[in-house]
Amino acid sequence: MYRKLVFDGVLFSFILSVFVFSTILRMDEDSMNLTLLSIVTVSLFLVGMGSSYFLSRRRILTLGGVLFEPNSTASGVWYKSLWAWQLVLALLVAFVMAFVKTGFSFIELFDENGFAGAMRLFQGIADPNWNILPKAVYNIIETVFMAFLATALAIPPAFVLSFFCAQNIMKSPGARLIYIFLRTGLNITRSIEALIWAIIFSVWVGIGPFAGMLALMIHSIASLAKQFSEMVEASEEGPVEAITSTGASKLQIVWYAIVPQVLLPYISFIVYRWDINVRMATVIGLVGGGGIGTMLVQYQGQAMWREVGCIIAVIAVVVWALDQASAHIRDALK
Amino acid sequence: MSGSILQVHHLSKTFPNGVQALRDVSFEVMPGEFLVIIGLSGSGKSTLLRCLNRLQEPSSGQVFYQGQNIADLKSVSDIRRLRKKMGMIFQHFNLIARQNVLKNVMMGNLASKSGWQSVLGIFSEQEKQKALECLQLVGIADKAYLRADQLSGGQKQRVAIARALMQGPQILLADEPVSSLDPATCQVVMNYLKKINQELGITVIANLHFLSLVRQYATRVIALQEGQIVFSGSPQQIDQEWFEKIYGAGAADVS
Repeated sequence: MYRKLVFDGVLFSFILSVFVFSTILRMDEDSMNLTLLSIVTVSLFLVGMGSSYFLSRRRILTLGGVLFEPNSTASGVWYKSLWAWQLVLALLVAFVMAFVKTGFSFIELFDENGFAGAMRLFQGIADPNWNILPKAVYNIIETVFMAFLATALAIPPAFVLSFFCAQNIMKSPGARLIYIFLRTGLNITRSIEALIWAIIFSVWVGIGPFAGMLALMIHSIASLAKQFSEMVEASEEGPVEAITSTGASKLQIVWYAIVPQVLLPYISFIVYRWDINVRMATVIGLVGGGGIGTMLVQYQGQAMWREVGCIIAVIAVVVWALDQASAHIRDALK
Repeated sequence: MSGSILQVHHLSKTFPNGVQALRDVSFEVMPGEFLVIIGLSGSGKSTLLRCLNRLQEPSSGQVFYQGQNIADLKSVSDIRRLRKKMGMIFQHFNLIARQNVLKNVMMGNLASKSGWQSVLGIFSEQEKQKALECLQLVGIADKAYLRADQLSGGQKQRVAIARALMQGPQILLADEPVSSLDPATCQVVMNYLKKINQELGITVIANLHFLSLVRQYATRVIALQEGQIVFSGSPQQIDQEWFEKIYGAGAADVS
């Protein structure tokens, strides 16, 4: 019920505040009045919630109702129902806002000067300068090992954390508290992109592959721990019960009844994570994480497109090869 | 009272969702008995067995074993000591699929091992010998080095019995041990349970479905209906009238 009210409220306040702030109360970046904005939006939200409640009392189906109330079925012709118009209106407003905000313009897309520039870029990339190939290969080796070390160092902490983050193991009230604490911590860590971690570590340990490796490692720990713990939660209850009934300790139960069940999926996730990390490592290089990405951003800054073409070719080959290898290994592990 | 190995007094179990699985269940078990619990699915049989080795927490009542109220054990090590003395086998065998048979059997001895020994997977020569003996008792020693998931259902259940024997139990709890086996294999597994009951003197408490098996193997029967004991006596006493009372009117003995 409350999800439906919140949804309808958000939808209502979204549509109406867009109207209000693009007509009566126009603001730009400098005249932005956050207080006024929040007062108007929140009160519109409350009005929206109220009317949603009122409508549901009158048995009129709203979009929130269609989404969140499982036993409500949409019937009748769509253009005669309120929820359909809510959806159409909201999408329409969202598209108009998005086009305005992103400054979408066909004129710029097909502008003669800009188009010529893009053509120069593509010509450069299509005709790579192979003289820098040795340097590019040297740098991509750095990137691959950066990704390898980040993945390898992430395995032990993620392995240990995965059991403390699994609901079916952390059952007692005290354990529950640790579970919630760790889960929240991991969610926050994961929601901070590796790119941001790279910026943090490039200030901390200096620009270079070490910073990039640390960034990838932190992100990998959080991601692997989450994927691992989901495997633990999906493991069969039977063996756990059997090992428990022999009088085994908690550690022994986890080690003998759960670990054998999750080992193969773990390896599969690790191989995939390495694959992802190689791709992310090239991007992280752009913000000072070392490796091929740092090399790429240097040539790009000088508009040396033929050299950029060579680097892109090297990245493409390596990423493709690792992608294939990881797919084959994961297939064999099934 | 005197001489019994297990005394259950007014045992009740209510699950957090409000389902009352056991209501005021009381009975005694004599050493060396082959006690069979019958009843429809959902009558509380499985919950009853699990309350005996504390896989489930009893809501109220007492269970006396060796003069101790085990329904009241608080410390984890006490509960683990209790479980070691009660082996358990399950309907779906619950072996560790990717490990070999011998390792599966040796896992029965985990309660006597330290944390580090077991994490490193160190098992002594004596443990290995004992595991092989347990496998011999159920006639399956030749499969010791096969992976557990390569065995048939009946073979898996025999390995599970060997794992329980490895604990050196006084009581064996068998939760529908033959429910997922074909009739022929059923008899083989039941015969091994009878063997360890009679030759090793291990008390067996088993949940069973088929009355023909009950008449063949049980020394005593308890029937549960909606968590209450409705019958207690010898298997020969269960006639058509009792059968319909336990399983509902119109039920027919299929085997």
